[in-house]
Amino acid sequence: MLYRTVIFTLVNLLLPETLLLAQSVRFNRDVRPILSSKCSKCHGPDDNQRQGELRLDKENGILNAFDGGLVDSEGWARVNSTDPDLVMPPPDSHLQVTDEERHILKTWIQAGAEWEGHWSFIAPLKPIVPKFTDQSLQQWIRHPIDAFILQHLHEAHLTPNNDADPEVLLRRVTLDLTGLPPTLEDIDAFLADKSETAYETVVDRLLASPHFGERMAVSWMDAARYGDTSVFHADGPRDMWPWRDWVIQAYNRNMPFDEFTRDQLAGDLLTNPTTEQMVATGFLRNNATTDEGGLIEEEYRVEYAIDRVKTTSMVWLGVSMECAQCHNHKYDPITQEEYYQFYAFFNQAADPGKQTRNGNQSPVVNLYDDEKLSQADELQPQLTAIETRLTERSTAAEADFQQWSVDEAVKTANGVSQPTDPVSWIPLDETKGRSVTDIARPNQTGQLNGPEKWTTGHTGNAFDCDTKNWIDMDTAGNFDGSHGFSYGCWVRPQDAGNGSPIARMDLANGYRGYDIHLTDGSVAVHLIHSWPDDAIKIETKKRLTANEWQHIFVTYDATNTAAGVQIYVDGELWESDVREDRLKGTLLSKGPFFVGRRNTGSHYKGLVDDIRLYDRALTATEVKSIAATSAITPLLAKDDSQRSVDEKQTLRSHFLANVDTEYQGISKEKIKLSGTIEELRKPIVNVMVMNDLPEVRETFVLARGNYAAPLKDRKVEPNVPAALPALPADASSNRLTLANWITSPTHPLTARVAVNRYWSLLFGQGIVRSLEDFGAQGEWPSHPELLDWLATDFVESNWNVQRAIKQIVMSSTYRQSSVVTAQKLSQDPENRLLSRGARFRLQAEFLRDNALAASGLLVSTVGGPGVKPYQPDGLWNEVSLDGNLRFQQDEGDKLYRRSMYTYWRRSAPAPSMTIFDAPTREKCAMRRSRTNTPLQALVTLNDPQFVEAARALAELALKQQATTIGQKIRLAFRRTAATEPNQHVLAILVDTFEEELRRFQKDAKSAAQLISVGDSAHDETLDPAAHAAMTVVTSIILNLDQTLTRN
Amino acid sequence: MTDYQINREIASELQQTLTRRDLLANSKRPLGAAALASLLGRTTGASAASAEVNGGIAGLPHFAPRAKRVISLFMAGGPSHIDTWDYKPALRKIHGQELPESIRNGQRITTMTSGQKAFPCVAPMFNFSQHGQNGTWVSEILPHTARIIDDISVVKSVHTEAINHDPAITFINTGVQQPGNASMGAWISYGLGSPNRNLPSYVVMISRGPGQKQALYSRLWGSGFLSSRHQGVALRAGASPVLYLNNPDGIDRPTRRRMLDRIAQVNEDHYRAVGDPETLTRIAQYEMAFRMQTSVPGLMDLSSETSDTKNLYGPDVEKPGSFARNCVIARRLAEQEVPFIQLFHRGWDQHSNLPKLIRGQCESIDHAIYGLISDLKQRGMFDDTLVVWGGEFGRTIYSQGTLTKDNHGRDHHGRCFTMFMAGAGIKRGFEFGRTDDYSYNIVENPVHIRDMNATILHQLGIDHNQLTFRYQGLDQKLVGTEPAHVVKDIIA
Repeated sequence: MLYRTVIFTLVNLLLPETLLLAQSVRFNRDVRPILSSKCSKCHGPDDNQRQGELRLDKENGILNAFDGGLVDSEGWARVNSTDPDLVMPPPDSHLQVTDEERHILKTWIQAGAEWEGHWSFIAPLKPIVPKFTDQSLQQWIRHPIDAFILQHLHEAHLTPNNDADPEVLLRRVTLDLTGLPPTLEDIDAFLADKSETAYETVVDRLLASPHFGERMAVSWMDAARYGDTSVFHADGPRDMWPWRDWVIQAYNRNMPFDEFTRDQLAGDLLTNPTTEQMVATGFLRNNATTDEGGLIEEEYRVEYAIDRVKTTSMVWLGVSMECAQCHNHKYDPITQEEYYQFYAFFNQAADPGKQTRNGNQSPVVNLYDDEKLSQADELQPQLTAIETRLTERSTAAEADFQQWSVDEAVKTANGVSQPTDPVSWIPLDETKGRSVTDIARPNQTGQLNGPEKWTTGHTGNAFDCDTKNWIDMDTAGNFDGSHGFSYGCWVRPQDAGNGSPIARMDLANGYRGYDIHLTDGSVAVHLIHSWPDDAIKIETKKRLTANEWQHIFVTYDATNTAAGVQIYVDGELWESDVREDRLKGTLLSKGPFFVGRRNTGSHYKGLVDDIRLYDRALTATEVKSIAATSAITPLLAKDDSQRSVDEKQTLRSHFLANVDTEYQGISKEKIKLSGTIEELRKPIVNVMVMNDLPEVRETFVLARGNYAAPLKDRKVEPNVPAALPALPADASSNRLTLANWITSPTHPLTARVAVNRYWSLLFGQGIVRSLEDFGAQGEWPSHPELLDWLATDFVESNWNVQRAIKQIVMSSTYRQSSVVTAQKLSQDPENRLLSRGARFRLQAEFLRDNALAASGLLVSTVGGPGVKPYQPDGLWNEVSLDGNLRFQQDEGDKLYRRSMYTYWRRSAPAPSMTIFDAPTREKCAMRRSRTNTPLQALVTLNDPQFVEAARALAELALKQQATTIGQKIRLAFRRTAATEPNQHVLAILVDTFEEELRRFQKDAKSAAQLISVGDSAHDETLDPAAHAAMTVVTSIILNLDQTLTRN
Repeated sequence: MTDYQINREIASELQQTLTRRDLLANSKRPLGAAALASLLGRTTGASAASAEVNGGIAGLPHFAPRAKRVISLFMAGGPSHIDTWDYKPALRKIHGQELPESIRNGQRITTMTSGQKAFPCVAPMFNFSQHGQNGTWVSEILPHTARIIDDISVVKSVHTEAINHDPAITFINTGVQQPGNASMGAWISYGLGSPNRNLPSYVVMISRGPGQKQALYSRLWGSGFLSSRHQGVALRAGASPVLYLNNPDGIDRPTRRRMLDRIAQVNEDHYRAVGDPETLTRIAQYEMAFRMQTSVPGLMDLSSETSDTKNLYGPDVEKPGSFARNCVIARRLAEQEVPFIQLFHRGWDQHSNLPKLIRGQCESIDHAIYGLISDLKQRGMFDDTLVVWGGEFGRTIYSQGTLTKDNHGRDHHGRCFTMFMAGAGIKRGFEFGRTDDYSYNIVENPVHIRDMNATILHQLGIDHNQLTFRYQGLDQKLVGTEPAHVVKDIIA
């Protein structure tokens, strides 16, 4: 690389202009940012904006403008001009070159105006590791990393710090690699281990810990915009936590970064992808989605693809391509055409613009509980045995059947044989009165509301619905949909047929329930958990006839699919259109079951007769029998010798199912057992995954990025920007190709961006501080050679993540003490040169986890769905749609899980996290700000989570086998800050205990209140005053700077 | 200023105090309350020059500000401009008529009504009368606001591209339809800092009327890519107006004071060992938290307000969490020099039952708006306090659902809607912009929501093109990448 040939300089960018020496100005570091931010808008890659045919992002243009020294350079003349007509940038651009920038330009031009290509777009070469002849310097170097760091320090006349104290170092590395503090055992073991390899032993143990994966997943969740809700409009719930579990496991298994990348960007496109590889693609489904009623679907479908372009390019390439959505990028070499070529990879996604308000939007994959599946397998032989018994009984019952068919043939004239097991049978044969009989449930009478109207029916009498009256059958037909059921009745619509003759549906609760609903004679059936996102609706193509009796009957087989719902009219299956097919939840509603309307509305006008409900899916034959056009009626009339094989079988089936009690008994056993097995085989959860459309969706450049303005004459094919390496010539144009391209060993950006992110986790800031932007506007790396060394080493190691991290934490650079002198503070104020160990406040999650761990409350189970620990009341309903969504706090263990599992409602995320700078995760966030505010003090002093931790920690301290209060306090201090308090601090804390003890001895009520904060039990055998006093001490410890900070 | 710079600044003040005290007494006495009280004693009356000291950006304001602070009354859900402000007697003539295609002109409308067979125009089902010296038409459902019509500038030609709530409300509050950008209050906090270190520079309060409520999102007052110190702090009705403000049960104020003294003592010890100025900043922020524990409840406690003052805002003022109460608190915050105060009032999404529901919504704000502006005037604060009223879009002239004699709904409409501004150098008794006979399209002086936001910044002395933050390679602005123009015509 060019910059390796340049002599390293004494200064860094943070130093004032006066120190900037002539020989030190370098194009990429110093000059390019000025040209980029002040000139590129009009003289950059964007053809539409370009003025005067001059490009100041290209070598030619730059040299034309600035070559030739100060006298001949037209560029310098313009920048240096005071004439408003000549000066550049022009006044109306609202851009100004500062004095410092002008000085840099001048110095650079004087030195010959040397040009360099943009550093990050050029593949790194492994730099030579600097050597030091001075042994005292060389001695400090444990690893090549240290040599690069030392070189800059040496040039700045700074010396690095020695290693931090063992306890400080142990806490640092434990928090950095697991997000948790070391235990007392960890501390003691480390202090006792005097071997050379003591520290490495710790590092290896931490990398092997299941909490390593959790720690890494926390930052990946920010980048991947992970949330438990959908963001837009209602911000409804979704289940993406299996993706998070996948990430944790991937880090714990030390999955190579190229595989980690490929599975998340294109796992679905691999040959025979595993379930895990499908789940990994949830990365691309974590984006914000909408369910808003008035939306235009295409607008949001395009938006999702745009978000995926942005996230992918930021996370892996450190380049935001976003600008080029509307026009050619003004700073980086990405044209609008190239943007849409990149976008074309993502424009094939199968998920729609309008997504569900409640739960996961397809495509999804189901995840199963292996234990339940094996239980189901164990039950399978029992089921087979029952089936054998059924067959046996069928054979054994042959004689009974023959007898029955003879007897029944005689009875045919008197009536039709029908299924005998209705759970409700409402004949509506009343002639007057308001009490309505259910013959299947003699104790449950219904109630007629409104005008009392009975009339002659299809059989016996019927109920006359006049839109003002209805019958409330209350608990009838309270099916939840987990088993099949059937229902129906006779109707004689007065007009074309509108409204619901029967329904069990609660409109106030998302229309939950089921119905028969007529619209101008077409028959619709709704099975609804929540309309419309969690519901089935089918509607017949044919229509009923007005003023005629017709029999409507519905069967449902509990498959959660529209295909499992059948509508029969007069015993014939009618063809239906599927309107919604997204049922997942229960149908169980408070109803009630109404005749003549829903609860509420949808009044039906006409007659209703003979309602029957069954708690199983009836066969077509059975439905026919109820419709009294039974298949068996004509069969029974025939002589047995005239019956065909099929007809005989129809009769036999009918007999067994409805007449033979022994067969029915076995059949019930079968239904019960198969229900159990089905339940065990149900997925425990599904997760949203990527899937491309079967047919390629054409991609066009969108005028100004507008979804509604595709430029039909500018069709593009999937491709990558020309400024970056080309795709392989023969590769197919899909995301898998893109993923392989991103992880190609020669890609200039991917490895640099990745190791820079790891670096930032361990030092609080990246070598390139703008983790998300390695482009022309990004920050210059503090140690470019080190970054390239780490990047090339990462690729050479086959993208070994744990190895990359291990070598950083093994370095002397990492292990330095964070003590800072006034000299270092003034020369290296933000520690860009790493003249000392990094010291920064713990991030939100680790701060709370540290308190939970210190107090012994932490439940360290890895993985699983989100949990809802304490949060102040009212935060959800203050902002939720309709204002009625309330936060339901969890109980027990779920209050004490690691903070990364805190349920993430993206429109109103947990405040104790956001106050400590956690992003909302509505969009990709590569780094967090790190603030120090009064609101944060209020959290750690007053949040019940922290107060409860303090009093649990106090309890641990008091119950410790120790003679003095001082020793008890030492224990609490070590559990929290992983170090011993010094004598001065210990004296302060012992004083505190004694002073507060006196107070609480006088104020028993306050003591009792303080030690009762939080849900966990406290030890009532402890003296409440002492417990409260110690709680004050431990609360102080939890609020100390050294507790809140990773030293 | 970066967080780093702000922290260094706080720390260096404290460091000087520490050094002074060490020289004098070599004391082990905690720094605590006494020293910090003088150190952090500044509360009000900071000049523009000291804004820099208070966490703003050097060089701001760009020019002499007319407004020292903004009170934004944000009507979430999209109030109907037709039923409140944008009245023309001619509307009566088109009532019940189909909206001509020449007016709609193929423009996109939401899929809630795009399938409707008919688009009957609906005149407001309220009486309108003319008020003030300018004869401005005001609906009968805003009788109190009509009384201060001579104090405000009504802009009837505001427009936005968004047609649904989430994108629209995100657009007007952050300048972009998608999440991720900083909200206006956060931009102002970033640019100007806060003259009052005891209170946040951006305060949000939420209330609701009887109408249909759309969701809000914390991103609407979030800091986006800016430091999260600039995010709006929600003040809430009830016992804990700021989250986690109250000491836990069993810890009284003297105990808390002692705790903070001990924490400061130990932190000072640690600072001497490690030398990180961040430790000193932390001591100072803990002291600030302690002060907030009294200053914030004091702010929320209206017992010191006279009944004359309370009467200005109407009877709802006694209801915690009401819009009226929030308006009084907003004035109190303004007195404390909080630069950006935003009230979200929910319930304006009247797709159905509009006549009844919008009347209720207006009742919940009308008297309070009169009270707020009158109160600001009486206290001499109207001249440097900018009041802004409006929602994310307006509503359609045509009925959503069936139009009956006394009922109808209206869908979302972004082609034109009405906002008003008042105080702080805004013209008084002025109307700006004009819509067509259907209140559907703008025929004169269109004002994009970006222009409104640029105008708010302008009144604060900020050039909207110069308030930028480098993120993702772009100098981000509140007004986004499209050009925005200050609405000079409404500035006095």
